[in-house]
Amino acid sequence: MLKLENLSKHFGGVRAVDDLSIEVNRGEVFGLIGPNGSGKSTIVNLICGVYTPTAGSIRLLGNEISGLTPNRRLVAGVARTFQNIRLFDDMPVWKNLWVAQNSTEDANKHNLLRRWFGGAGSDRDEIDALLEFSGLGGRGGELAGSLAFGEQRRLELARAVAAKPQLLLLDEPAAGMNFDEIKDLAKRIKGLREQDMSIILVEHIMELVMGVTDRIAVLNFGGKIAEGTPDEIQKSSVVQEAYLGKPQDVA
Amino acid sequence: MSDYVVSVVSNMGMIAFIALSAYILLVIGEISFGQQAYFGIGAYISGVLTAMWGWPLWLAMVLGCAVAGSAALIIGSLTLRLSGIYFAIATLSFAEMIRLGLLSVHVQVEIDGELVGPEGAEGFGDIRWIFENDVTPFEFMTVIYVLLVGVLTILFWVERSRLGTVIRMVGSDPLLAQAQGIDVVFYRLLATVFAGIIAGLGGSLYAHFATYIEPNVFNVMLGVHSLAYGLIGGLGTAVGPLIGVGLDIGFLEGVRVFQGYRMIAFGGLVAVLLIFMPRGILDEERVHRIKRWLERS
Repeated sequence: MLKLENLSKHFGGVRAVDDLSIEVNRGEVFGLIGPNGSGKSTIVNLICGVYTPTAGSIRLLGNEISGLTPNRRLVAGVARTFQNIRLFDDMPVWKNLWVAQNSTEDANKHNLLRRWFGGAGSDRDEIDALLEFSGLGGRGGELAGSLAFGEQRRLELARAVAAKPQLLLLDEPAAGMNFDEIKDLAKRIKGLREQDMSIILVEHIMELVMGVTDRIAVLNFGGKIAEGTPDEIQKSSVVQEAYLGKPQDVA
Repeated sequence: MSDYVVSVVSNMGMIAFIALSAYILLVIGEISFGQQAYFGIGAYISGVLTAMWGWPLWLAMVLGCAVAGSAALIIGSLTLRLSGIYFAIATLSFAEMIRLGLLSVHVQVEIDGELVGPEGAEGFGDIRWIFENDVTPFEFMTVIYVLLVGVLTILFWVERSRLGTVIRMVGSDPLLAQAQGIDVVFYRLLATVFAGIIAGLGGSLYAHFATYIEPNVFNVMLGVHSLAYGLIGGLGTAVGPLIGVGLDIGFLEGVRVFQGYRMIAFGGLVAVLLIFMPRGILDEERVHRIKRWLERS
């Protein structure tokens, strides 16, 4: 489904991502964890096109996408959420969903005038269903900026889903959430996996990562130091070292 | 209507075009100090065409707009990668280049024993289309407002369409817009060219209303004013810049009580509004609330 091969991103002398290879299967929730500065966010930005890789390839369903602009990548099937909430604050909630919902279809429509002026073109039922999914039923007319923090987080997720992506990138979706909200998020992520969506989850909150992922890759200094199921990762001594440091001989 | 009122109202109409032009740039999230260049290009091109070559006004205006739009396309593509202060400086530089370029244009032809044409800093007089065709100031004012209403109709129509929503999204967060599948570069250019055409239209009207133009009319103060109109009136709707124009030209300049104090009052107004209403009187949020209120009642 998604295949990163020997992917590198260097910022001057800093090797944010270095010779990394990862493969994510269809319908899989794949966790990316690692200490701060280990390159997780850089990988997200590489996959969705904010950065261009220094070397290596990114293949989605067999097609090389590393040369595409971010808007083309959404059309190719990659949607994301942002680490810091990013919504069109001064627009109604439904328009935030509407834009993602239409863009895939729009990008392939060549009659610009019909695309621009041919009515809303939105599937209202689908938007209502997405609002329902994010617990925002009936609030489509409010400004996105006037929603509460938790609601905005849910709207972000709904917007990414509205694009009907093949691959969903969740960049720290639980940041700032309380325990109940995290449980709620875990339920939504599991629900999305059942729709056969592949998901990459970047997260610091281990309860969430261990609870919903099928496989996990652990990063440190831009490289992969371990990969496996949540159980394997929890037992790995390499991972414990990366997070906690080497056990010292105290005697 | 007295001549004075006609001239003030005509001025408001013509300046409204460049105010709308600057407003479109503000909507896509950029501050341009260079819209006066397109206004000037429209004025010079259409003026040359009617006064020197005897073209009909409408055709001269169409070409004036086309040249202004093409200039906007070229300058727009060159400044695309810039944003914020860098974009502002680049647009100002290009506008000054064009103004200084016009200062060195000396192309005159003899018509009925008189030299007609742009003569550098001496200006370009005798753009006499309205006298030759017996158009009264009142009639010309009507033409200005018919065209202005036309442009506004297009803007309102776009605003309500998907195109308008997409352009607003590009302006409010380009990175996010791109992540939502919007081709940001394309829409920015599209808006820039449209803004250039509107300014060019205003300029070509201005040349024929004033009958005399000179490069220094199109200096940076014109650009600064047109920016301020949108910032005063509000960026939520195309009515915003018109409110700005009405306040400045209709009220401060038109009402003679303020004569001599106009810039002091205007500057103060801009400063106060930027502090208390940074996106103008009719900003996006107020426009949204008004729309919802209208829908309910």
